[in-house]
Amino acid sequence: MRLVTGQGYWSPLVWLALAAGVAFFGWLFWRLGRRTYKAGTDQDAPFLSGEAAPERAHVGGQHLYWGFLQGLRPTLEALRVFHSGFLGDYVTWTVVVVAVALLVVMLT
Amino acid sequence: MIGNLPFVVCMILIGLGLWTLLSRRNLIKLAIGITLIECGVNLFLVTLGYVERGVAPIYTYTQPGVTMVLPTPQALTLTSIVIGMATTALMLAFAVVIYRHRGTLDARKIRELKG
Amino acid sequence: MNIGIHLPILAIAVPLLGAFALPIFAKVHKRLRDMWAAAVGAFTCAMVIALAIQVLSTGVVVYTLGAASPTQAVTQGGFPIRIVLTVDGMSAFMGLISALVGLASLIYAFQFLKEDQGKTLAMTLFFLLWAGMLGMEYTGDMFNFFVFLEVTSIAACALIGYRTWESRPAEAAFKTMALYTLGGLLVLLAVAILYGQYGALNIAYLSSRIRGSQLDKIALGLLLGGLLMKAGAVPAHMWAPDAYGEAPAQAAMVLVANTQASLYGLWRVLFTLFGGALAAPAVGWLVVSLGTLTLLVAVLMAILQRDLGRLIAYGAVSQIGYMLLGVGVGLVALASRPDFGLVAMQGGIFHMLNDAATVGLLMLAAGVVRRATGTKDLTALGGLGHDLKWTGGFFFLGALALAGVPPFNGFASKLLIYESSFRLSPLLTAIGVLGSILLLAVFARAFQGVFLGPRLRAAQSPPVGMLVAMGLLAAVILAMGLAPGFFVEHLVTPAARALWEGRDLYLAAVLGG
Repeated sequence: MRLVTGQGYWSPLVWLALAAGVAFFGWLFWRLGRRTYKAGTDQDAPFLSGEAAPERAHVGGQHLYWGFLQGLRPTLEALRVFHSGFLGDYVTWTVVVVAVALLVVMLT
Repeated sequence: MIGNLPFVVCMILIGLGLWTLLSRRNLIKLAIGITLIECGVNLFLVTLGYVERGVAPIYTYTQPGVTMVLPTPQALTLTSIVIGMATTALMLAFAVVIYRHRGTLDARKIRELKG
Repeated sequence: MNIGIHLPILAIAVPLLGAFALPIFAKVHKRLRDMWAAAVGAFTCAMVIALAIQVLSTGVVVYTLGAASPTQAVTQGGFPIRIVLTVDGMSAFMGLISALVGLASLIYAFQFLKEDQGKTLAMTLFFLLWAGMLGMEYTGDMFNFFVFLEVTSIAACALIGYRTWESRPAEAAFKTMALYTLGGLLVLLAVAILYGQYGALNIAYLSSRIRGSQLDKIALGLLLGGLLMKAGAVPAHMWAPDAYGEAPAQAAMVLVANTQASLYGLWRVLFTLFGGALAAPAVGWLVVSLGTLTLLVAVLMAILQRDLGRLIAYGAVSQIGYMLLGVGVGLVALASRPDFGLVAMQGGIFHMLNDAATVGLLMLAAGVVRRATGTKDLTALGGLGHDLKWTGGFFFLGALALAGVPPFNGFASKLLIYESSFRLSPLLTAIGVLGSILLLAVFARAFQGVFLGPRLRAAQSPPVGMLVAMGLLAAVILAMGLAPGFFVEHLVTPAARALWEGRDLYLAAVLGG
């Protein structure tokens, strides 16, 4: 089952055994904690800056990583413009790839 | 020199087709551009199979000593023409469907799928 | 008749015949059509597997069409004039990928497609596409390769756009068709140039003659461009998210396998056809740089997506980058043949199998979501995990495997790619790892957005057949994850060796001596 990778090896079974060991110790630590959680009380409610959370609140898929995306905004906007959806651009970039391939092959 | 003329024509056809694809916006014209490239490539294939004073490779009718033509390029061209017809028909069919839904054939306005 | 000799042609002919006979059976009765489709699918898979066993145990299998004896590829005078099918380790491996994806797609399609929405048509086109893919993988003839390439192009685009009652599929289909045809014509032009020089179309014969003249180089450039476009390498990838996103789920996963058949064509051209004349590593560096560009750009675009189909599509494109990276490293190292070259090739080729299974699983799960809710918009979805427990679980498994989280299969193949590309340049490994991390982020977002959260709406769980199809892929993923050594040793290494050092064997099998 071992996969030799040239400089070492990868064995999922060994990894799983180690992961099980780590999980076991994690479980031990968890058992040492306080037992004040009660299901069905206010402790179940989501915390939203101290305000009352609206019913059925769900952070939709597009809102995750908002800050990360904001930081990368210029790059991502450029990429979005690059994928213009215009068929002429698709063809242009294909021709560019062919030209680059031809250049690389011819010049060597 | 004159023998190379068909090859020059092929390259001109392929170049024209590419230029059509890059500069035109009408979907029908884009299909025409692709057909032009196809014609250029087909012409190239047929030209490759040309042998001066060659005859058709039918053993029953030829005198001994004449050059016979290998029929492969013709067969390739025929196959390629059939494939080209299928792709062109399919593309035009999609153009019709697009026109029915959007009422336009301008490729710059048909970009619902982007980003 | 000894069926064992005729396996290569039967594996192509049976789905082809099955495709054209399917509408006739559908006219008689729908159940008859389903039984016919199941029989053709099972028979094709059985033959592909039997052929793979034959190739892996006895070496390259050669089948000559129209000859008195199928093994007699060369006519008198040492010239192969007939169409030859040549199946070596790599072809057999690709055939197995196509068989796996095709089988899962077929099982899924029975209950996913609706009768009044072109079920017969979609199944017919699927069998055509399947036959074309197998043909591309098994053929030993350049023109025949072009013909099968166009068969897959036509079938694939018809599959993308057959739902004419919606406007978006037609748009995606037109764009894809235009680019596929352009790429196919570039390939045909290159084939014509090679034919003009050497008067032959057989890959083995051409390979033994090619010395690297200027015309050879033009042909190589055209083949590279056309096949890279069809494989979906950035920046010629833009058709891919449109096509994958708009095609119905069972077709989208076959489209992914189809891009891998194009990648196979690229490997075949680079390693077998031009192997001897390709001393310079510049082409390898081109493939490597396009690979890194592909995996970065596609994964960044995936973060931006709001449509679940397009998000998975960009994820699938980014995986093409890893394959290009792995095999490209092997190509750079081909001249000096260090150890890490073969490891890189193993990684890249193993990743093709992993990608086919995991992306297929994700697309099938997205199809279930679309069927249950009628939308793929991430802003509108949420909380589906309450009702679609199995589907959510499969999506989670696929996402982890695709992002390369141990102990799943994506990690095994990516580890091989990282460790070997590190020897070439640590920068490549860094970009690869970055791409994987971003990919995990993308799929964490997709899973959270679609399956977690409070129940926003009730969703009907999918029929058993669709779950079986996803379960098949999930079982393959788990098996490959837990026993990567077995798969790499028995399937991937023969395929990698066939490209890495098998050129002489390939030539000898066809030309003799």
